[in-house]
Amino acid sequence: MERRIPEFGRFAEPSLLILVSLSDGPKHGYAIMQDVESGTGRPMGAGTLYAALARLEERGLIEPLPPVDRRRPYRLTAVGASDLAEQLRGLSQLAQQGLRQLGEPQP
Amino acid sequence: MKALLIRLYPTHWRARYGDEFLAILEERALGPFDVTDIILGALDAQFRLRRLGPDPSHGRGFTMSLRIGGAAAMIGAPLWSAAFVIGSDTFAGVDPRAPFLLMIAGSLALIVALAGLSAFQARVHPVLSWLAFALPAIGTVLSLVGAAGTALSGDGYFELFFFGVLTSLVGSLFFAIATYRTAVLSRPGALLLGVGTIVGLVAGNGVATELLTVAGLICFTLGWLMLGVRAIRIDGTAVARRPA
Repeated sequence: MERRIPEFGRFAEPSLLILVSLSDGPKHGYAIMQDVESGTGRPMGAGTLYAALARLEERGLIEPLPPVDRRRPYRLTAVGASDLAEQLRGLSQLAQQGLRQLGEPQP
Repeated sequence: MKALLIRLYPTHWRARYGDEFLAILEERALGPFDVTDIILGALDAQFRLRRLGPDPSHGRGFTMSLRIGGAAAMIGAPLWSAAFVIGSDTFAGVDPRAPFLLMIAGSLALIVALAGLSAFQARVHPVLSWLAFALPAIGTVLSLVGAAGTALSGDGYFELFFFGVLTSLVGSLFFAIATYRTAVLSRPGALLLGVGTIVGLVAGNGVATELLTVAGLICFTLGWLMLGVRAIRIDGTAVARRPA
């Protein structure tokens, strides 16, 4: 399968975090920002969020839902879910390999 | 200001995302980090519209991050300290323009650091965070004018340069207070930075001894370095800490 997220340049990591945030259901922009910040301890600015959202939507990995009080929720598409799963498997394999090489116990 | 920030984006972008974007901006107080990130996001949207960048379909964009702020802090503080050391009597033979140039370069880096590291503080202490950013920005302009004036017409402008430096120091002090009170990044780093800036301000008024001035400079530099390292660590472990 084509790997799409690495092509997002500087937005690859924010994009991955957004996809993970949407993996448990649709969320609007502010909820995504809060979710990412509480999960990573790292701030996500609105400029970065919408630059990444625009790229993800353009690639068909997420789709907008009808707005509720000016807040528009987004949800993962089937392609987005499959792409995210592939990314996470890749990260997991890399983590396991790294831990094995360090002699650390693996989860 | 929020409406003005949105106007930086291309028209077609505003038509698609404008309402929901404005709704997000209204959710919380905007600090220097947020405003810089929005300006960079607008630049990214403008570049994408004009198909600029290495790959028009998904070219590299701009983003503000703790990493950038941390790196800027780790560059800016040593440059500031180097300016003071080189400007002292010990280095009398050095080109007299060197301390000015180092100070200006360090100040510019610290302005980037203040924007990049202020995201969480601005949500709790927005006024303090904006002062921490604005004072060094004003101080750097004053220092730049003072340095240029000193280079062109002698010592008449040195006081302006020095006033700019002190103004920047006050900004660093406000940042240290905001960081300590918000309990983000590194509280010991914020404490060291606060002590360093207070000693620096006292030394600037000719009250402190040479030894105390050196101690203040060390605290100032170490404080910024600790905050910078912590920011880069938080940024670097962002994905790893997120439960998959």
